Amino acid sequence: MAPPAQSQRSPSPSQPSGKGEVSDLKSQLRQLAGSRAPGIDDSKRELFKKVISYMTVGIDVSSLFGEMVMCSATSDIVLKKMCYLYVGNYAKVNPDLALLTINFLQRDCKDEDPMIRGLALRSLCSLRVANLVEYLVGPLGSGLKDNNNYVRTVAVMGVLKLYHISASTCVDADFPAMLKHSMLNDSDAQVVANCLSALQEIWSSEASSSEEASREREALLSKPVVYYFLNRIKEFSEWAQCLVLELVGKYVPLETSEIFDIMNLLEDRLQHANGAVVLATIKVFLQLTLSMTDVHQQVYERIKAPLLTLVSSGSPEQSYAVLSHLHLLVMRAPYIFSSDYKHFYCQYNEPSYVKKLKLEMLTAVANESNTYEIVTELCEYAANVDIPIARESIRAVGKIALQQYDVNAIVDRLLQFLEMEKDYVTAEALVLVKDLLRKYPQWSQDCIAVVGNISSKNVQEPKAKAALIWMLGEYSQDMHDAPYILESLIDNWEEEHSAEVRLHLLTAVMKCFFKRPPETQKALGAALAAGLADFHQDVHDRALFYYRLLQYNVSVAQRVVDPPKQAVSVFADTQSSEIKDRIFDEFNSLSVVYQKPSYMFTDKEHRGPFEFSDELGNLSIGAESTDTVVPAQRVEANDKDLLLSVSEKEESGGPSNNGSAYSAPSYDGSSVSAAASSQMLSELAISTVTGHASQSSLAIDDLLGLGLPVAPAPAPSPPLLKLNSKAVLDPGTFQQKWRQLPISSSQEYSVSPRGVAALTAPQTLLRHMQGHSIHCIASGGQSPNYKFFFFAQKAEESSTFLVECIINTSSAKAQIKIKADDQSASEAFSTLFQSALSEFGLP
Amino acid sequence: MPPLMAIEFLCRVADVLSDYLGGLNEDVIKDNFIIVYELLDEMIDNGFPLTTEPNILREMIAQPSIVSKVLSVVTGNSSNVSETLPGATASCVPWRTPDPKYANNEVYVDLVEEMDATINRDGVLVKCEIYGEVQVNSHLSGLPDLTLSFANPSILDDVRFHPCVRFRPWESNQILSFVPPDGQFKLMSYRVKKLKSTPIYVKPQLTSGGGTCRIDVLVGIRNDPGKTIDSITVQFQLPHCILSADMTSNHGTVNILANKTCLWSIERIPKDKAPSMSGTLVLETGLERLHVFPTFQVAFRIMGVALSGLQIDKLDLKNLPNRPYKGFRALTRAGEFEVRS
Repeated sequence: MAPPAQSQRSPSPSQPSGKGEVSDLKSQLRQLAGSRAPGIDDSKRELFKKVISYMTVGIDVSSLFGEMVMCSATSDIVLKKMCYLYVGNYAKVNPDLALLTINFLQRDCKDEDPMIRGLALRSLCSLRVANLVEYLVGPLGSGLKDNNNYVRTVAVMGVLKLYHISASTCVDADFPAMLKHSMLNDSDAQVVANCLSALQEIWSSEASSSEEASREREALLSKPVVYYFLNRIKEFSEWAQCLVLELVGKYVPLETSEIFDIMNLLEDRLQHANGAVVLATIKVFLQLTLSMTDVHQQVYERIKAPLLTLVSSGSPEQSYAVLSHLHLLVMRAPYIFSSDYKHFYCQYNEPSYVKKLKLEMLTAVANESNTYEIVTELCEYAANVDIPIARESIRAVGKIALQQYDVNAIVDRLLQFLEMEKDYVTAEALVLVKDLLRKYPQWSQDCIAVVGNISSKNVQEPKAKAALIWMLGEYSQDMHDAPYILESLIDNWEEEHSAEVRLHLLTAVMKCFFKRPPETQKALGAALAAGLADFHQDVHDRALFYYRLLQYNVSVAQRVVDPPKQAVSVFADTQSSEIKDRIFDEFNSLSVVYQKPSYMFTDKEHRGPFEFSDELGNLSIGAESTDTVVPAQRVEANDKDLLLSVSEKEESGGPSNNGSAYSAPSYDGSSVSAAASSQMLSELAISTVTGHASQSSLAIDDLLGLGLPVAPAPAPSPPLLKLNSKAVLDPGTFQQKWRQLPISSSQEYSVSPRGVAALTAPQTLLRHMQGHSIHCIASGGQSPNYKFFFFAQKAEESSTFLVECIINTSSAKAQIKIKADDQSASEAFSTLFQSALSEFGLP
Repeated sequence: MPPLMAIEFLCRVADVLSDYLGGLNEDVIKDNFIIVYELLDEMIDNGFPLTTEPNILREMIAQPSIVSKVLSVVTGNSSNVSETLPGATASCVPWRTPDPKYANNEVYVDLVEEMDATINRDGVLVKCEIYGEVQVNSHLSGLPDLTLSFANPSILDDVRFHPCVRFRPWESNQILSFVPPDGQFKLMSYRVKKLKSTPIYVKPQLTSGGGTCRIDVLVGIRNDPGKTIDSITVQFQLPHCILSADMTSNHGTVNILANKTCLWSIERIPKDKAPSMSGTLVLETGLERLHVFPTFQVAFRIMGVALSGLQIDKLDLKNLPNRPYKGFRALTRAGEFEVRS
């Protein structure tokens, strides 16, 4: 409840400094225990208050258990409550002492005052001690039959608690049947509601093992039961109404007339003051009418106003939750809110999470009639003080443009953004213009004129820079100085940190070369040389691929790299319609807020990243689990950037368009064996690339001029590897890299007997390896299996090596897996690692 | 888990706690943790919300009011728990204490409206909407039955009711028929959309160049509501790229607060002149012009008028021994009233 004491700020109630206070309290409680003097309750109350306050701030006062129980004999209800609270908190960790309390709790369960009966029963069920359940059955049984509704309410929940402590005791005592009886017959609505909630929980978890339970669970959804609840719905508290509505939402009516009966009965719930009731009712309406298209549309009209009210009144948290639901509905029926778009205009004071969702709504509801107003409004946000929102709103404008047919006005707006002279606005607008041109190539003239005026020096963000470069390559015939801009960008290759930009630069310069060969030849040569020397695998591979393509046949290369393109008609949707349907089925739940169906955040196998970090944290031996996680991660990473991956496909996939360059099978029987699996390329890389840059650029010049075959440069011996002794890497990056990189070497060494002996204290190995500039990021395991994750960095550049090392002390073997940023150096590193390991344990 | 159930419940817990403790912050909770425990015990059990109705809770757990503190000192009995279980748990109107008795029966109905408006850079009213509440404060004996009707219910766009309101009379005749809870409560909330004008105008003008930015803001009455508009303030956040600001006004006071907010308090608009504020912002070195445009947030209050135009027609009371006193009030204030520049 209250957070553990962390501040010294307000010492009220006073904070104890040590154990002295606790033992002090103990003796005071002892004194009071036997006393029956008048006014004793007041002094007890003060003491109890102190004890509870210690407990609340996280000080262990469990040693007072016996004294507290002794003092519990009182008629004062506040004292009792405090005592119950204390007992409930410590019983679980002190099961033996908990036995002491059973006696007085059972006595209180028979008290005259229903309040005390109820409280005692609640505490009794909250002890959570498995071997005390036998004492619960009796009081619970009589509690369920108590003539006071308060006690019955508590008893019903008590049954559920008992079920969670010991399911068999609960079922054997026939409590579910008793609950069912009270559910259908009790006069008090709260008792009925609690029965429903308890039975749903019990029968759902029993259903897998017992056929009877699953039958009972089905029976809850039968017509008589559902109608029984519906007829009493107005007696229930607002929370219980939510529960009943949830149940009704699952009910499948047999006849159409039933649907209308239920909807008529529930219509006024749409005007309830409690938003939870309103949303639950909406779910019932939507589910009931799923099969009746016309009525379903009418339902949309009917629920519109209540939903919009929920958005604009209440806390931002509520707005967010309701907006998520609206967003889901809008995806299914975009027109329903198209005339209410003004409700989604952002207000200055709103938190940005609400604003972001509102922008998505505006994008979703935009249609021919309201686009002008919406885009005008969005353009105002571009000048917003809140930069992330300004960016989002520009993106929203772009999305609207991509989904509209009449984009004339929007293109003008976007081009105005480019002239706003704010770097982030320009950056976002560039990315959008690029996507827009892919869909509407007819706008190229207008866009190119504006884009041409942007100096590439003013664009810093990788995505924007890549977009600009893409346009330079794609429209180089219309942009007068395209080759020269590209050339100047290539001159600064070394300073370009983003691999994405370098990849685009390679492709763009190729395209430019096909259109304006004489002007671009020099730039292309420089780009390929720089690309071949690049330490990033993808950049290097693409450069090599282009190089070989050109070497083979320039016209084939042109067909591959710069084929005539068709405009993209629809950009890939990030979520499949199946997933959207699943989310819709889970309307009014967290799935909608997370925009994921529930299995994605409740099932274990979908929690990949967490699982992995767990593994790194406390490292149980079992390398396989990390491996199984990998594919899921990859898929996710791919999905994240669909737009980009689509563009990549187009550029390099060519006419066959069946995959990216790396996995494309040879699409032309006679053409280059484009089966350029990265494995093969990387092997080749070692032989060609590490050669001197001047030599290979010379070779390329030759090639471009005459197309003469070039002999590969002789493979140089692997350079001596120097490691950075002060390398740093945070665990997050480590995990990410470990997932992304392929295993470059996997070996088994034997460990010297001395080393095995020294491994009794694994810390010594870590210190030893650190002496060789190899750092440990995580370690674990128990004899005979130890597992370590190491990393190291090259001294001059930021190229990293990652190592997984499993040492088995009984067989004296070490299994090593190495992954490296720079594959070519992994061999050298492997040698270094082995020698470092073999020295371990030597004096 | 239905998300709104969690959010609504947490809001309700916060309401009840601040109702009991007269505020809600860390210290207050620490000082009254026993009561907090007791309340939570009754409000939720095993993850399922139980009783959140303040009236019932108040009967189960007494408030730590000053009166009871005094009493406890005098009598030595400081139990803050009532001896009996609340009767209302069994009553069919769970929001009402069974049988309150008042010497003076009185009921007050307040219309409280908030105007949300957005005015864009060209001075066009982009969006204007009113969110209103009918707040009732009733001190009536017995089990009274009230009916409230409006002169023009058709202007209401969407309505939400307190659980005490009966649905049928509203659906057929737009009449609110209800048995009120005791004390202050929100009978109904409503929205009125598509309003055509605002009572006051705020016209900001920004001209920048040469490393400075000149701001002029004019305020005046656009559409006289017939009652005094008071508590007028205009405030805006100074952009980050500003080194210093120098603002003056011909009426009211201008303050630049610590969080770089410029607050202009006008209070009332004088008859003889239109209030204006002007000043210069000095931009960071290297910036020629201002690229971000601040949003001006306006606040005002009008007593005696519900700007939506909603009017109460009449209030009838049944089941009462003697004639009660009936009081009506209206109030409009600015909600999210923004003027962009």
